[in-house]
Amino acid sequence: MKLHVRTICIFTWLLSASFLTLGQAERGSMLIKNGTVLTITKGTWENTDVLIKDGKIVQISKNIAPPSGIKVIDATGLHVMPGIVDTHSHIALDAVNESTSVVTAEVSMSDALNPTAIAIYRALSGGVTSIQVLHGSANVIGGQSEIIKLRYGTFDPKDLKMEGAPRTIKVALGENPTRMHGTNAGILPRTRMGVEFVIRKSFAEAQEYSQRWDAYNKNKLVKNFRGAPPAYSLRYETLAQIVRGNVIIQCHAYRADEISMMLKVCKDFGIKRVVFQHANEGFKVAPEMAAQGAMASVFSDRWGYKFEVYYSTAYNAAILTRNGVVTSMSSDDPELIRHLYHEAAKTLKYGGLTNDEALALITINPARQLGIDSRVGSLELGKDADVAIFKGYPLSIYAIPVMTVVDGIVRFDRDNDVNDMRLLVDPDPINEAPIVHHHNVYEDCLAGTELLFGFEN
Amino acid sequence: MKKFIYTVLVNLLFVVIGLAQQGNALPQVTRAYAFTNINIVQGPGRKMDNATMIIRDGLIAALGRDIAIPSDAIIIKADSMYAYAGFIDGLCKAGVRQRYTESTEKLLDPASPPPAMAGITPQREARTMLNQDDKEIEELRNLGFTTVQLVPSGNFLPGHAAIILTSDKTTHEMVLISRSAMYSDLVGTRGVYPSTVLGIMAKWRELYQQALLAKSYDQMYVSNPAGLPRPVADPLLEAFYPVIDQHEPVLFKSQRLMDIHRVLSLKSDLGFSLIIADVKEGWPVIAKVKTSGTKVFLSLDLPEEKKIDGSKEKPETFEGIEKDELEKRKAESTRRCTAQASDFQKAGIPFGFCTYSAKVKDIPANLRRMIAAGLSEDEALAALTTTPAKILGLSDRMGTVDVGKIANLVISDKSYFQGKAKVQYVVVDGKVYPVETREAVKIEGGWTIVIQTSRGKVSDRINLRKEGNGYAGTYFSEMLQAPIDLSDVSLKGNQLSFKYKMGNTPDSPQMTVEAVVAGKTFKGVINGARYKNIVIEGILDAKN
Repeated sequence: MKLHVRTICIFTWLLSASFLTLGQAERGSMLIKNGTVLTITKGTWENTDVLIKDGKIVQISKNIAPPSGIKVIDATGLHVMPGIVDTHSHIALDAVNESTSVVTAEVSMSDALNPTAIAIYRALSGGVTSIQVLHGSANVIGGQSEIIKLRYGTFDPKDLKMEGAPRTIKVALGENPTRMHGTNAGILPRTRMGVEFVIRKSFAEAQEYSQRWDAYNKNKLVKNFRGAPPAYSLRYETLAQIVRGNVIIQCHAYRADEISMMLKVCKDFGIKRVVFQHANEGFKVAPEMAAQGAMASVFSDRWGYKFEVYYSTAYNAAILTRNGVVTSMSSDDPELIRHLYHEAAKTLKYGGLTNDEALALITINPARQLGIDSRVGSLELGKDADVAIFKGYPLSIYAIPVMTVVDGIVRFDRDNDVNDMRLLVDPDPINEAPIVHHHNVYEDCLAGTELLFGFEN
Repeated sequence: MKKFIYTVLVNLLFVVIGLAQQGNALPQVTRAYAFTNINIVQGPGRKMDNATMIIRDGLIAALGRDIAIPSDAIIIKADSMYAYAGFIDGLCKAGVRQRYTESTEKLLDPASPPPAMAGITPQREARTMLNQDDKEIEELRNLGFTTVQLVPSGNFLPGHAAIILTSDKTTHEMVLISRSAMYSDLVGTRGVYPSTVLGIMAKWRELYQQALLAKSYDQMYVSNPAGLPRPVADPLLEAFYPVIDQHEPVLFKSQRLMDIHRVLSLKSDLGFSLIIADVKEGWPVIAKVKTSGTKVFLSLDLPEEKKIDGSKEKPETFEGIEKDELEKRKAESTRRCTAQASDFQKAGIPFGFCTYSAKVKDIPANLRRMIAAGLSEDEALAALTTTPAKILGLSDRMGTVDVGKIANLVISDKSYFQGKAKVQYVVVDGKVYPVETREAVKIEGGWTIVIQTSRGKVSDRINLRKEGNGYAGTYFSEMLQAPIDLSDVSLKGNQLSFKYKMGNTPDSPQMTVEAVVAGKTFKGVINGARYKNIVIEGILDAKN
């Protein structure tokens, strides 16, 4: 009998999912009753209701009478918090690295989105609702990121995109790009000096590119203008936007010296918005980062997997926070993304952050780093109805995510979590054997670069 | 004596030349066929039973019940057979000579490979890569495909597609439209830029934008070159110009769901007209395809159908239950793939089919599976004939069996979509290809031949015999002292051909006979020198 129920669940799920393909991402309404509401920015409220209409939070108070016909979720004894935001992920993508060129500012992760990736559902099961999907770290200037909402159930990559989110781009320093291009391909950059040179050269050339086009476009306004347009390059179009400050830099960096280098480069080019990804040695330069408004997205205690990540500490997030750096905790991993609340909780032990400071690491702070804090990252009136509901306090080791809501739609429900949640099933799988981890094959930041290392799986 | 023979031969030659010259003035004796007593499915839902169909000059010349059979026509008795318009394949790689080979050359910097190494050769043309002797083309023809949209080998932007008739004529004769679409897919080249879908999408957008700018500057220069730097010709960007003008669509191989979404986003961003082809996983994106006005060729490839054994005992272990559930989902997925054509039909999206990734031998069975999954026979026929003709802008020439259209036909012994139907003849561009002959054709023995010259009938003899794996033969004439050896005697199906020389000097003209064997007779034409389509008939000696 249980099997039968499961099968029905799959089909109703697929049926509801298929409606999504018709157009805009779905938005829903609901009343979450009587939970402990962790707003993050406006305190914690017990026995409180959250009213959601058409995907937006419209009321947070006690004893809200349910509007007729609205779905009511009883959160008695449960914790209701904003959906978790992850600034560093490579899930839901069909390609991560275009590693054939040192600079690939022209490529965009929006072109590689795959909404049917099961990893989206797994992230939802850890309370995550918004993520930044980044280009890998093979190139010095990688591709443009996409900020997506985990609207699992849609078949259309467009429905994943968070409408109106800022443009962001990946920059990578240190060992990955120097090994990829310098050591392997024998081209620039072989050293950290080379990395800086590539960035400065790209930005300077982008300024010249802008000047040529600005002049041409100005001349074109003159009546009867005759002349050839400058050469068009999608790469320099994007780089020009970075130099103009219209694209937030998401800079993969571990060491303090390269963080300082990048801060200087940004200062020289007048670029104000930069978020350092990983930043294991961020604690060494926290005041300098804070002074320039640079932010940091870090791991709790992940290090030692290559030379540049040995000098690390679990106190990193706390030190950065105490020095006024907007700090977040990110995953860079399809498994770790499912328990970011554990990662945040470690800062209670290592550095003594408050509960609200720790929760901010995975909610409002990553939202600030992505420029989407007016939409997500806290439970406030008018914000998107992205909600994670936990049994137990989210920072407790016993916490269990029970429901995840995106835009007022339930996307994960622990009571209705069937075994096979795939949206598309390959009827003729070439190989059904489980994927065995091969120590030489990269799954995250360097995904898709195996060829350049001269080995293949 | 020798002189006498020489005179005879010379006279014979003059007779022939005279015939040919007169032939120009007289109504031309051409190759014509009459299919008699045949059931003609002229188009979806349009049928004419027990009719006669005349083919002449590569066209359908006449159709009807009371049609006079021209005296020069080769009669093919097609009692109880079914004739359909020849099938049209929207995306085909059969017969493409230059198979794509990956370069082993190691570049100094993989970021800027030569365009050809990166698969960027939109200026190339599939027709230049066609190998007319390729068995793959013959296999498709034997199924009933008479027209294919052939694409160049390679990935990303390998070149222009061509519309090809699947005859065995010369490459030039096979080409109907030399540039029908600009072909593309989203596959990069390993190890050089662009290698992934990320780079491919960016490069596509950049090339299109560069072509727009180049085209607009070209126009400015052409309208008044004075004082302007000369634009440098770039064939690579020029290949995009007809696409920008919407004179040519982009033909995108888009098999999986995400390919289709990506290609649709390119279309909506850049505004070209689009055909998606070899579609295998299109059902979740039907609404979007419809609103975008994209044209569609669905794949004739289907996942293998697995029978689920219902009588099997229910598994009790967790692993057993899980495995069962997975098998059910795979079966459901196979069902969705099979019902794809029916889903597109119900949504009102016009679509054709394509053979690109299908195994040829599976195609008839796959069509029947699609019909069992909800597509009607008429709808299947439309997707093989009228709709692709319309998508490719060829409705004025093909897609139905109507007078004046190109004689592209498939003739089967039963209704084509029935399990046991066998294709008997395929007609391409007016040429008849027998596919299944009911009895083995025997040509060995003595033949009386009759050549219809304008001065009356000339009667001679030939003798055909087995030699090795092939045939050999001899030509006897009262006007010849010694018999002449036949060369290149060949029998394919029931198509007989041979050559002989009219004389024994090196510059004696060579004559070619092409004929169709029917039982103990053949009928065909002689060509050579100035001899054009002179009718020849043969009767096998009774003692054979």
